[in-house]
Amino acid sequence: MIEFNNVSKVYEHEGQHLTAVKEANLQVERGEIFGVIGFSGAGKSTLVRLANQLEKPTSGEVLVDGYDMTNLSAKDLRSVRRQISMIFQHFNLLESKTVYHNVAFPLILAGESKSTIKERVEEILDFVGLKDRANYYADQLSGGQKQRIGIARALATSPNILLCDEATSALDPETTQSILALLKRIRDEYNMTILMITHEMDVIKDICDRVAVMEDGEIIEQGAIFDLFTNPKHPTTRKFVESVMKADIPNSILTDIETHNDSRHIYRVTFLRSRAGEPVLSRVAKKFNVEVNILYGQILEIQDTPFGNLIVELQGDDDEVLKSLNYIKETVSVERVLVDAS
Amino acid sequence: MQVNLLEFWPMILEATQETLIMVLISLVLATLIGLPLGIALVVTREDGLMENRFAFKMINAVVNTFRSIPFIILLVAILPFTRLIIGTTIGTGAAIVPLVLFSGPYIARLVESSLLDVNQGVIEAAQSMGATNWQIIYRVFIPESLSTIVLNLTIASIGLVGASAMAGFVGGGGLGDLAISYGYQRFETDIMIATVVLLVVIVQVFQAIGNRLSKRLKRL
Repeated sequence: MIEFNNVSKVYEHEGQHLTAVKEANLQVERGEIFGVIGFSGAGKSTLVRLANQLEKPTSGEVLVDGYDMTNLSAKDLRSVRRQISMIFQHFNLLESKTVYHNVAFPLILAGESKSTIKERVEEILDFVGLKDRANYYADQLSGGQKQRIGIARALATSPNILLCDEATSALDPETTQSILALLKRIRDEYNMTILMITHEMDVIKDICDRVAVMEDGEIIEQGAIFDLFTNPKHPTTRKFVESVMKADIPNSILTDIETHNDSRHIYRVTFLRSRAGEPVLSRVAKKFNVEVNILYGQILEIQDTPFGNLIVELQGDDDEVLKSLNYIKETVSVERVLVDAS
Repeated sequence: MQVNLLEFWPMILEATQETLIMVLISLVLATLIGLPLGIALVVTREDGLMENRFAFKMINAVVNTFRSIPFIILLVAILPFTRLIIGTTIGTGAAIVPLVLFSGPYIARLVESSLLDVNQGVIEAAQSMGATNWQIIYRVFIPESLSTIVLNLTIASIGLVGASAMAGFVGGGGLGDLAISYGYQRFETDIMIATVVLLVVIVQVFQAIGNRLSKRLKRL
């Protein structure tokens, strides 16, 4: 649906070159929610704008829905853009116009008839749950409501693709959840393809099917969300994963692990998908001559599927511990927690 | 003193009328020139909708040139041009020509700064929806900045009230002319006071109308 082939974007300013995106390759499939995560300045804003040609690539190929975006005439580009909607971090609503007019805006631009517009706007406002706000102005709405209007506006032209530029970054956690739920519903009901950029791993873990990690203009890692969470390869990816997974480990336990690490057998056990119900540990305790002591436990929901992350200590003879480890490894993944692994 | 004012009242009324006519007609014509110029300054600038270095530099230079000429000099300097357009160089009509040339470029600058205040993100959003440049000007730039533009036009109109006082120089009439020729040159102090009071009232009224209109145009 969206395909980037060796896409680069270099800005030139007073003889200085700044590479915002460097030879990016990615494919977003139809009906998929694809996330791009990176710290600020990583180039993800530019990346998402290359998809609808708000930014023109310096080199490379951008294919959207079969169109070679870089070779379209201005007129064709405008009509393709109606199929690629976009929502923004700061909503970007017309402040002088009502909610109704804002949602109608893309339809007015497309020259639709008044009756078509009215029907469509009412339908969409109903879908986002703000039908009773049609005559309000943007400054009378909360952030979450503004983003719902932004989404309603984006849906007005019945696009196939929705680009989200930090769509939840200006919202509080609760509102973020409701907006993410809405995006998910849009994907499910309209089979929408969604490309979203964010710096929040929470957002990625909640709704993305696949994710690409960007740093300094480059895509340094990409893959299915589970693979990234369970087996992050690049240090930056690990940092993002840990922003969600490790953030809650109490300090006292971290200190404990760090001070006694050498002499103790402390491991991180991660459970995948449905295996998160964890009888494996109790079985180990029964089967081998070891005590299992859970130091820390966390079950995350990634895409509505449980993902367990436990820090356990195995107490017993080295031999027994080794056997238990091998046993555990048959079902779940285990790694030794090293000093200062964070 | 009392007698004087009564005697001169019809004259004062006429002068008020002349001032209002000069200011309002000049304002309309100057806006017709200044608005497109202001829009052009915004869209042709670097990273604008229709970036055009040459056009921007030209318009920018012309606007700056006119803005740097003091009104009283402009008034005299363009007398041949005024004659060409109006057929004469004296009278209220003749005063309007320099007033328009004086405030048109000023309004262009005011419009420019109003449009530059429009949230760039909204423009980007319109582009992402496939809007043409003209649609962006007409449906984003103008409505989003209308309230500010009106407030700025109020400033321009008050500037015009001031400039129109100098129009007496070309026999344009108006309150300023009255104040100079009677109040100053003939020592009719009460006429001077009356004209100043009237000018103050006119400015107050203009500002009040401008403020109210601007507030209403915030929500279209």
